[in-house]
Amino acid sequence: MSWDQPDRDALFSLVLGLKIGENHQRDLMDWLEEITLRDQSKIQVLLTGKVIKDIESDPRLGRADKLKRIKQQVRRLRFPRLVHVEDLIRARIQELKLQPEIKVTVPAGLEGGSLRVEFAASNHDQLKKQIAKLTEAAEKDSIAKIFALLAGKITENP
Amino acid sequence: MQAFQPEEVIVERGSETTSIYRNLREKLPHVPFKIVDGVANGDSDFSARGFGTAKKKLVLTRHKGEFLKKCPGSDGQVCCNYFVINFASNCPMDCSYCYLQEYLAENPALKVFSNVDDLLIEAAKLLSKHRAFFFRIGTGEITDSLALDPYIGFTREVVPFFAEQPNALLELKTKSDCVDGLLDLDPKDRIVVSWSMNPQRVIDLDEHGTASCAERLRAARRCQEAGYRLGFHFDPMVEYPDWEQDYEEMLEQTFATVDWRRISWLSMGVLRNTPGLKRTMRDRFPSTRLLTGEQVLCPDGKLRYFQPLRVEMYRKMLGWIRRAAPTVKVYLCMESKEVWEQVFGFAPGCEKELGIQLANFGF
Repeated sequence: MSWDQPDRDALFSLVLGLKIGENHQRDLMDWLEEITLRDQSKIQVLLTGKVIKDIESDPRLGRADKLKRIKQQVRRLRFPRLVHVEDLIRARIQELKLQPEIKVTVPAGLEGGSLRVEFAASNHDQLKKQIAKLTEAAEKDSIAKIFALLAGKITENP
Repeated sequence: MQAFQPEEVIVERGSETTSIYRNLREKLPHVPFKIVDGVANGDSDFSARGFGTAKKKLVLTRHKGEFLKKCPGSDGQVCCNYFVINFASNCPMDCSYCYLQEYLAENPALKVFSNVDDLLIEAAKLLSKHRAFFFRIGTGEITDSLALDPYIGFTREVVPFFAEQPNALLELKTKSDCVDGLLDLDPKDRIVVSWSMNPQRVIDLDEHGTASCAERLRAARRCQEAGYRLGFHFDPMVEYPDWEQDYEEMLEQTFATVDWRRISWLSMGVLRNTPGLKRTMRDRFPSTRLLTGEQVLCPDGKLRYFQPLRVEMYRKMLGWIRRAAPTVKVYLCMESKEVWEQVFGFAPGCEKELGIQLANFGF
């Protein structure tokens, strides 16, 4: 795809400012091209929008954190429904109040349709407590909602 | 459907005595034919000129390897135990998403293999050696089964052969409406003619040079009336705003046109590509909206719509299919057991199980 000069300039400025490596650049370029193809928008407009500019100029963030947040933001625009389902699942996981002892995660891109549960115990009592906590959580509506979302029952729109 | 009119037919010496050559000569009287001593190894000339350009010349050559192979499927996905016959390579049509753009990138010449007699000898040996095994065999893996048939007459040689085989079902899979050559043959319930189906909107945008949805359905009805079993492959399903309305209408048209009780199987599969194929699509079809779907990389290296989204698509399609055709056999192409479970509530125990089910539904 050929880029207009203002689009190239906007990306160049971002890449230069954050010293973005080749792989991250490729991700960003692909996502930006696909967003603009889908939405008939302009890359320059996306990259100079308030959200990206605020991240770029946030003095509390280092270079790596800025890049991470900008990529998250562009990913959010590129995959709005995927990110929406991920957000819904994350909210349901938080409702379970299991963390940090018990870690509940879903696979990247939600592929596989399964929930991963991790915990560690250093003695028998701790193990019993965590299993009890997990058993209690398994009965909650939030867990059923997570599995429903993983199985394609997406009821809320982004 | 766009008529096939190659710029030239290149014939490898020795192939000019075959029936395929004679058919080509008769059907393409205004096309120049060039006899050559050998087709270059690796087809570097065609490869350099690009995938699209390679479709403009037809090469008639002998196939040196085996014709019949097990379908490779996709790593870790439920497999349907299918065999493929490669009687040609590449396709005169030009779908934006076609995986051959990557698969045949180094060898893109549009080739037809002239030694059909060798193909039939090989098939006869294999089928007679394994009489206890039932083979489902297709010819549409690296080409379209019927798009070239009006010019080469391939089906007139293979259909009578497979119609007599007690342990095989031949599937001819197409996006064309080139069925005239089939209609006066007797399939004896051993031949399934199947169509890759998409709504007209997808055909217009991304299935270049193929038959329209209505033309495919008319051709399907003619085949059904001539005694053939039918198959339909809703693959690749494409997700876009209002896709539901288009796909539901397409299914209604399908079941209004053909008798679903004589459909052997239906399959569903969403759009899938690899990162490499996506790069090729960007180069060849930069404005295709297929690039903008919410696809993620799956463990088998293919990009698909993220799982909850595609499961939702499959479920909706299945609901519309079941409304019109309650007991027709439906399966998923290149999907994991988890997706099968989420869509159907079960997954085949092994590839043999799905293969046997499909073979049984062939009758």
